[in-house]
Amino acid sequence: MKRLIQFLFNYRLLALIKKEFNQIRRDRRLAISLILPPVVQLTLFGFALSANVTNVRLGVVDDSHSPESRELIATLTESRSFRLAGYYFSVNELGDAVSRGTVDAGVVVPYDYAKDLARDRPTTVQFLLNAMNANTATISRAYAEGVIQSYNSGLRGKGSSSRVETVAGMNLARRGQVQLQPAFLYNPGLVDSWFIVTGVFGLLLILNSSLVSSAAMVREREAGTIEQLLMSPASTSEIIIAKITPLFILLCMMMLVAIAVLKLAFGVPFHGSVAFLLFGGALCILSGISIGTVIATFSKSAQQAQLTSFFVNPPLSSLSGALNPVEAMPKWLQPVTVLNPIHHFATIVRGSTLKGSGFMDLWPNFLGLLIFTAILVSLSVWRFRKQLS
Amino acid sequence: MIAASPGRAVEDHQDSAEKRAIDVRGLAKRYGALEAIRGISFDVHRSEIFGLIGPDGAGKTSTFQILAGVMEATSGSANIFGRPAREMRSQAGYLTQTFSLYLDLTVAENIRYSGDLRHIPPNEIAERAQKYLRMFDMDRFKDRLAGQLSGGMKQKLALVCALVPQPHVLLLDEPTTGVDPVSRREFWDVLAHLAAEGLTILVATPYLDEAERCHRIALMYQGEIHQIGTPAELRASLGAKRLELRTADLRKTESLLSEEAGPDKEIIDVQRFGDRLDLLVRDPDEDRQMVAEKLRSAGVPVDEIRVDEATLENTFVAKLRALGQKAAAVEFPSRHDHSNLHGQVAIGATDLVKEFGAFTAVKNVSLQIRNGEVFGLLGANGAGKTTTIKMLCGLLDPTRGRIELAGTQGNLRSEGVRQRIGYMSQKFSLYDDMTIRENLEFFSGVYGVPEHEREEKIRWVLSFSGLQDKQNQITGSLPGGWKQRVAFGAAIMHEPDILFLDEPTSGVDPLARRAFWTMINRLADSGAAILVTTHYLEEAEQCNRLGMMVAGELVAEGTPTGIKARQSGHLLEFIVDQPQRAADLLKSNTERWRVSLFGERLHVITEESPASAIDQTKKRLAENGLRVISAREDRFSLEDVFIAIVEQARQQGKVVTED
Repeated sequence: MKRLIQFLFNYRLLALIKKEFNQIRRDRRLAISLILPPVVQLTLFGFALSANVTNVRLGVVDDSHSPESRELIATLTESRSFRLAGYYFSVNELGDAVSRGTVDAGVVVPYDYAKDLARDRPTTVQFLLNAMNANTATISRAYAEGVIQSYNSGLRGKGSSSRVETVAGMNLARRGQVQLQPAFLYNPGLVDSWFIVTGVFGLLLILNSSLVSSAAMVREREAGTIEQLLMSPASTSEIIIAKITPLFILLCMMMLVAIAVLKLAFGVPFHGSVAFLLFGGALCILSGISIGTVIATFSKSAQQAQLTSFFVNPPLSSLSGALNPVEAMPKWLQPVTVLNPIHHFATIVRGSTLKGSGFMDLWPNFLGLLIFTAILVSLSVWRFRKQLS
Repeated sequence: MIAASPGRAVEDHQDSAEKRAIDVRGLAKRYGALEAIRGISFDVHRSEIFGLIGPDGAGKTSTFQILAGVMEATSGSANIFGRPAREMRSQAGYLTQTFSLYLDLTVAENIRYSGDLRHIPPNEIAERAQKYLRMFDMDRFKDRLAGQLSGGMKQKLALVCALVPQPHVLLLDEPTTGVDPVSRREFWDVLAHLAAEGLTILVATPYLDEAERCHRIALMYQGEIHQIGTPAELRASLGAKRLELRTADLRKTESLLSEEAGPDKEIIDVQRFGDRLDLLVRDPDEDRQMVAEKLRSAGVPVDEIRVDEATLENTFVAKLRALGQKAAAVEFPSRHDHSNLHGQVAIGATDLVKEFGAFTAVKNVSLQIRNGEVFGLLGANGAGKTTTIKMLCGLLDPTRGRIELAGTQGNLRSEGVRQRIGYMSQKFSLYDDMTIRENLEFFSGVYGVPEHEREEKIRWVLSFSGLQDKQNQITGSLPGGWKQRVAFGAAIMHEPDILFLDEPTSGVDPLARRAFWTMINRLADSGAAILVTTHYLEEAEQCNRLGMMVAGELVAEGTPTGIKARQSGHLLEFIVDQPQRAADLLKSNTERWRVSLFGERLHVITEESPASAIDQTKKRLAENGLRVISAREDRFSLEDVFIAIVEQARQQGKVVTED
């Protein structure tokens, strides 16, 4: 132990680490990529990629003309999701409007709606959707269902037991199975951005770590100073540790900024242990650094390293389940996510923030992440050592 | 002004205005508070090679930029053929210190591109390209990528590109930095040829053996021109002669005589070389007696004292000293003494071979460098010097052969061994993105210079490189010469007992170079073994022993004097009325390398007896209407020997790689 401490705090290592810090400090691009992405990427993706649908223009055909039908329409348009765009006289007219795009969705309340409710008979409200934007359509439908469900429960509260069914417009929208995703369960306000930002958080850590570290690792070789460094008494382990430490520290700081953005800008709840989050994040950063290092050992210049990253990063992010649910991937591709550190981290983040899951629930993901990090770190150290000697 | 052939002088009188190719009057340039040029005036005649020499930061590059029309002067005029330089850009070819080529285009494509830019018809481009490439002996490499050429060939190609538009004036700013001696000589031979054809050439160089090849030179210092004249005039202006003193105990003699030396004393200057001392004195005969007397009374054996002309370098250093330029100010804070190691083998190699695939870069090199010794490794580009150094210091594994480093064999890369080694690589020894101070702190830290010595060492490096007030400047923004000084300082802060210096003085001005060598000698005196490479053979005289490499083999080894003495043949110097014509004539019936032109002086290397060779040559020149003004046998310079060795190796069928 004493020897380890001696090794870690010797003057040479300190000089090497200080040098790395000095270089990073001067590298404006690096500094920017440590501050900008957590803020911009998270907010941008959080808001832009959000599946949260608001202000869907709703066209209405109210054949019932009853207080009950008006109440239903009011309930729909009261939510921020739908905005009343206009009344139509017939289903056909509404259908045309939907397909022309003057409205995004239409609801048809049948003639005997109020009567059926009064007689406690199930009644059907027709819902027309323009599925050109399949995503919006699916989500609008889910919203409509949700609204109608709560409307139903209100009816039940009044002692009535009627059901309202929704039917998607046959020729306009695809009829599909509605899947309630677990996220909805722990996201009662249906705040979709939570799902996105927690995913982006993992992406951010890994991708940014790999980009930053590949640039830092290749720099010495690109500048030609590696030879001078190799002639110094510094050992390869010292050189590697000195290269990784400052990056790790800075990236951890970036992680804290990102967490602050999650909390302050998106109000993500932290139901679980923050320690889990930090530990998982640290592992993620290490994996990212290792990926970057491996890329750097195959590249002669920063440019080359960056181009190589383009081959590695997109599959890594799209096969992670960070931005889209794993369940939405083809079945045969789903197991691949097990090999993806981002997937594990996303699960950990979502678990420990939204669900408040503990270690008992998350240990498989921790284990996965740990194994990955170990493999990647050893791979990168091996490659780097090989390159140095 | 021009001390050239009589014919030229007469023409000069006839219409000097028209002969004036470059005319600079009261030129000044300011960058904010900094006055880079403070009102300089000079003119360059048509067909003349005019050299601008001066230390780093003298204002040479600014002058070039104004003449090339890429920068405005603050005041004064710079005219080319009577019109402002800016308007004459199409008439001037400009070559900068850095390569101005497209490395991913071939030689031919580079030339075509530079011709197309000036709207030269394709057939003319091809014609001129052919002519100049042949002149440089480069027509074989037409289809090679410029990026795959050696440094020397790149500069030659850059010159060809500049020549294709057929400029009337050529502006060359330190064109031969990093170029090997063989290429450098070819480069200058072509310049002499072009000048004789009517081209006007303005050239800056930190190397004074190159300045000798100019017709006239101007000494520039701190933005002013202090002297203009032919090399001979400048040398004479010093009013001093040089005594070459050979003795077994250089160190003691140096310290003994240095006490007596000073600008106002009998001995103006003492300079130590690898196996001799150079004394600059006012009265050669009297001072020779005085020195011999003094050394005899001190009990120092003297082998030889010879009287010779002062060199341009002597003049330059003496002038700069008189102008107040100082060399290293602070004493090196030496804390460790390696003198107990004296005489031990520090670097040893036996039958070293390195193969890269089918190519053998280094063939059976054996050498031994002892503590206390400065060993110079010389060779053209591609001769295998850098590969050899990398093997010797453990960066590269040899294919075969044994290496001994700091008393160890086998693991040369152990921490303990590297702690004892100082290493300065060819180009990239500092971190460009850190400040000078941060670099020095890093190197002192990584080499474990004790905390209490660190500040002292850093202060020494800053003072050695003259950068005390610039320690927080980003290293990348320093000019090459200064960076080298810092890198050298950084490499010796931990007082290594083995030092590898790969072209340490490349781009460094003469005064600073002298400080380098004083320091190198000091380190050797204190017991360090030093391996150094250089492209400048004048500088190689500073080494105790030399090894010359050709095509991966060590073909000559010995002291500078020994190597020169062993060289067969004789060096004849002729002064002729039409030197270029004479050179072309003599080259026509002998190998090209045997004849070269140094300004107005013609050097011929012959294997015959000097007297008969002089007679024959005189006769031959006279038959062709050329008048010989003087002829004498001169001693070989190290460069002459080197070129001869390389050429002889080439004749023996050894492949001298050109890339």
